[in-house]
Amino acid sequence: MSKGAFRKYGSKALIYLFLIVMSFISVFPLYWCFVSAFNTTPEILGGKLVPGGHLMENITNLLDQQKVFTALKNSFINTILVVLLSLTVCSVAGYGFEVYHDKGKDTVMKILMLSMMVPFVAIMVPMFQMFSAMGMLNKYIGFVLPSISTPFLIMLFRSNARSFPKEIIEAARIDGLNEVQIFVRMFIPTMRPTYAAAATVTFMNSWNSYLWPRIIFKTNESITMPMLISNLMSGYVLDYGLIMAAVTICTLPTVIIFFFLQKSFTEAIAGSVK
Amino acid sequence: MTNQEKGQSKRHLTLQQKQNLTGWIFLLPASLLIIWMSFYPMVRAFVVSLMRGKPTALEFSDPLWRNYQRMTMDTVFIQSLKNTFTYLIIQVPIMLVLALIFASLLNRKDIRFKGIFRTCIFLPCATALVSYSIIFRTLFAYDGFVNAILLNLRLISEPINWMNDPTGAKTVIIIALIWRWTGYNMVFYLSAMQSIDYSIYEAARIDGAGPLTQLTKITMPLLKPVILVTAIMSTNGTLQLYDESVNLTNGGPANASITMSHYIYNTTFVTSPNFGYAAEMSFVILMFVAILSAIQMKVGDKR
Amino acid sequence: MKKFLSMLLILALAISMSSMAFAAEDGKLTIWCWDVNFNVAAMEVAKKMYQEEHPDVEIEVVNSTGSGDIETSVVQAATAGDLSTLADIILYQDNSYQKLVANYPEVFTDLTDLYDFTDFAEGKSSFSIVDGHHYGIPFDAGTAVAAYRTDVLEQAGYTIDDMNDITWDRAIEIGKDVKEKTGLPLFSAQAGSSDWTVIILKSCGASMFNEDGSVNLKDNDQLKAALDVYLTLVREGVLVEVNSWDEYIGTMSNESVVGTFNGCWILASVMSLTDQAGKWGMANIPSLVGVDGATNYSSNGGSSWAITQGTDIDLAVDFMQAYRNVDFYNEILPTTSAIASYNPAKEGSNYTDVNEFMGTPVFADIIEYGEHVPPVVSSPYYYDARDALATAQTNILNGADIQAELENAQNTVEFAMDF
Repeated sequence: MSKGAFRKYGSKALIYLFLIVMSFISVFPLYWCFVSAFNTTPEILGGKLVPGGHLMENITNLLDQQKVFTALKNSFINTILVVLLSLTVCSVAGYGFEVYHDKGKDTVMKILMLSMMVPFVAIMVPMFQMFSAMGMLNKYIGFVLPSISTPFLIMLFRSNARSFPKEIIEAARIDGLNEVQIFVRMFIPTMRPTYAAAATVTFMNSWNSYLWPRIIFKTNESITMPMLISNLMSGYVLDYGLIMAAVTICTLPTVIIFFFLQKSFTEAIAGSVK
Repeated sequence: MTNQEKGQSKRHLTLQQKQNLTGWIFLLPASLLIIWMSFYPMVRAFVVSLMRGKPTALEFSDPLWRNYQRMTMDTVFIQSLKNTFTYLIIQVPIMLVLALIFASLLNRKDIRFKGIFRTCIFLPCATALVSYSIIFRTLFAYDGFVNAILLNLRLISEPINWMNDPTGAKTVIIIALIWRWTGYNMVFYLSAMQSIDYSIYEAARIDGAGPLTQLTKITMPLLKPVILVTAIMSTNGTLQLYDESVNLTNGGPANASITMSHYIYNTTFVTSPNFGYAAEMSFVILMFVAILSAIQMKVGDKR
Repeated sequence: MKKFLSMLLILALAISMSSMAFAAEDGKLTIWCWDVNFNVAAMEVAKKMYQEEHPDVEIEVVNSTGSGDIETSVVQAATAGDLSTLADIILYQDNSYQKLVANYPEVFTDLTDLYDFTDFAEGKSSFSIVDGHHYGIPFDAGTAVAAYRTDVLEQAGYTIDDMNDITWDRAIEIGKDVKEKTGLPLFSAQAGSSDWTVIILKSCGASMFNEDGSVNLKDNDQLKAALDVYLTLVREGVLVEVNSWDEYIGTMSNESVVGTFNGCWILASVMSLTDQAGKWGMANIPSLVGVDGATNYSSNGGSSWAITQGTDIDLAVDFMQAYRNVDFYNEILPTTSAIASYNPAKEGSNYTDVNEFMGTPVFADIIEYGEHVPPVVSSPYYYDARDALATAQTNILNGADIQAELENAQNTVEFAMDF
C-alpha cells in the first residue's frame, strides 16, 4: 500500500471512528431508556443495561393507570396543527422579508426578533390571563396559537431564501406569474430541505412542549404525552420501568419523523436553482 | 410611501407599490401573531417590573426602578447571572463548531451510512428530559461511569464528586447542553449546505485545500446567514436556560449552577411570590439577549 | 401601523381587565390532585362512597401533573381574577398553605366553622391554620419515621428496639459501630437539601421563624444543634449524601444503606422493594440532646385539601366528610399506602393488623407518632428559608463557618421579605 493510499484510507477510518463514537454517545441515553422499559425499578436503578422480561407488565400498568391513547391523540392533533400552520405562516413571512426587503421591513424584522428574547417564565402569567379571558383553556387552539409564528422559523426561511436567486423571480414575473404563484410554484419546491428541517424541529418542539400545555390544559381529556410523563413523575413512589415505557412511546414519533424527513435535507435541489 | 417614491414614473410606481404591498401582506399574519402573543404580554410584564406588593395587589413602587436597584444587592441573582454567562461563553462556541464539523462530515459524498449517523447525532434533542437527566446524573455520580473511565485512564487520582462541586456541576450542565443540542444545530447546517455546489469542494481539493481549509474558507462563509441564525438562537436559549438547571443539578450545590430563568421561576412560583421583581429580572435577561443579538447581527449580517 | 398597534394593545388590555369571576356553582364537584396511585386513587374511593348515597352528584377527579402545576394554576387564576378555572376541591402541599393563603386569600374558603377539625393530629393541622383559621382538611400524614434493615442491624449486634426512643448521640454511636462492622452507612440523604435539618429542628417544636413572623436562623440554638447533628452524621460517614432522588431510592434498592429517615410516605418506596420483605423494621426518630422541647417525633411533607371560594361549598364540605370516616381510611390504606392524620383511623383493621413487610402494625404506630408531633410556627416564607438554609448547609459542609453562613441565610430571607 502506498503512503498516499494509507493517508487516504487512514483519515477516512478516523472519520468513521469519530462518527461511530459520537453516534454511540448520542444514542446511549435513548438506548438506556428503551431497555429500561423492559425492566423493573430496582433493576433500572441497579444499572441493568440489557432488556428484561417486564415490558408487557410495564405497558399494561401504564395503560391501566393513564389515558395513553387520549394523550397520544391530543399530542398528535396539537403538533400537526402547529406544524402545518407555522410552516405556512413563517415561510410566507420569511419569503416576504427577504424578497421584498426594504428598510421598513428590515426594521420590523428586528423588532419581531426581540420577541424571542423574553423568557417564557416572564410572560406565563399575562399569557394565561389572555387565554383564560378568551375562553381558550382546554382547547387545541389554546395550544396552537402561541406557537404558530416564531421569529426563529421566520429567520430560518428568510436566511435560506437568500440563496433563492432573484433572477428566477424576475423571469417568472415576466412570464406573467403573480407574486403568490411565484411563491407557491417556485419558492416552495426549491426550499424543500428548509421545509423539512423546519418541520422536523417544529414537530419536535411542539411534541415535547410541556410548560405551556401544563398551564392551559386542566382536564383529564386534554392531557398530552409530556404531561402524562410529568404526571408519572409526581408521585411519592416512582415506577421507573413504567416511566421509561411512557418515555419510549413519547420519543418514537420524533425519531420516526426525523428519519423520514432527513432524506429531504440531502435531496439534490431541483434544477432551476443552479 | 415617501414623497420621493411618489415622484417616480407612474407605471414603475404602481408595480413597485404593488410588490411592496404584497411584501407587507406576506409578513402581516406572522407579525400580528407575534405582536399579540409576545409583545403584548411583554409590555404587561414590563409594567409589572415597575411594581411591588402581593401578586393580586400590585402597586407602582417608589422609586419606579426600585426593583432594578434591589437586583444589584441580590447575591443569588448575581450568582445566577455569572453562572448563565459561564454557560454561554463556553457552551455555545463549542457546540456550534462541533455541529459544523458533523454537518460537513455528513455532507461528504464519500462517507457511507450517512442517514444512520445523522439520525443518531440528532436523537439527543428528541430524547425526553426525564430519561436524559436521570442518565446524566447516573453517569456523573460519585461512583458513576465517567469517574470510572477517568480513573482508569489515570486522568484523575480520586473520583470527582461532580454534582456536589461548583465547577463539576457547571461542567455537567455544559456537557449535557452540548450533547443535547449539537445535532439540532447540525440539521440546519445540513439543510443549508444543500445550496452549496459540491463541485466547489472538489475544485478546492484539487487545489490542495485540506478539510480544515475547506471548512473555514468555503463552508463557513457560505453558511454565514444560517450560522448567524443558530448563534442567535443558541445565545438566546442558553440565556433562558431552565430545564437543565432544574432537572440535572437543581441549581446546586449552594446555587453554584442555578440559572437566571430558574431563579425567576422560583421567585414567581416556588418561594413567596414577588411578581414585580421576577418581571424585572426577566427584563434584564431580555436586555442581555437583545444586546448580544445586536452585536452578533452587526458582526455577521453584512449584506 | 402605529395606530393599529396601539389599538391592538388597548383592545388586549380591555379584554384582560374583565372583572373578577368566581367558580361556577353547578352542582358538579371537580377535584384537582396529583399522583395516580396515591391522592387520585384515594379520591376515587371517596367519590365511589359518596355516589353510593348521592347517585345524582357528578364528581370529576382530575389527575394533575404535580403539586407545582396546581400551585401555578392557582397563582394564575388569582392574578387573572378568574377563579372559574379552578376546581372546587384542590390538594396542596402542607408547606405551601401559609404562602398561598397569605398571597391569594380570595381563593381559599375559611373552613373553621364549616368543618369539624377535632381528632386530626395537631402537628399536621397546624400547617393549614392561618391567623387561627382553618383552610385545609388534613389528608396524608408526613410523620417522620426511621426504618432500618433489621438483618443488617442484627449482624452488628443490634435489634430494632435499640433504635426506638434514642437520642442522636446514641444513634451516631450505633451508626459508627454498624459502619465498622458491616461497612454500610446507616442513612442516605439528598445532598443540597435541608430536609434532614428541618425535620430534626421541628422535632423539638422549633422553627426557622419567630412567632411574630420574623425569620430566625442566625441566633437559633435549636437550629444549630440540628445542623450539628447533620454535619456529624456526614463527617462520621454514618450518613452518605447522594445527588438525586433516584440515587437516594437506589441506595435502598441496591442495599447500600442500613436504613432511611424521612416522612412516613417513604415507606411506600421501601415496601415496593418486594425482595426485601420481612427484613425491615420501623422506629421513631432520634431526639436532640440538651435542647428545649426535644421529642422523638417530627414530620416532613404531606398535603391537605382546600375548598375554593365561590364553588359549591356546601356540597364540597359534605363530600369531604369522607375524611372523617374511619372506614374510608381503612379502605384506601392497602391500595394507596396513604396514612391518615385523622387519629381515630388507627382503629381500622388494616391499621391494627401486623404489616407483613415491616413485621409490626406500623400504620397504627405512625398515627400514634403523629399525635406526638409538636406543632411549629410556619410562614409564607417557608420555601425561601428552606432554600437559604440548604445553601448554608452545603457551604458549611464544604468548610465555611456556621455562624457566618447562617447570617447569610438570614439576610437572604430578610431580603425576600422586604419587597
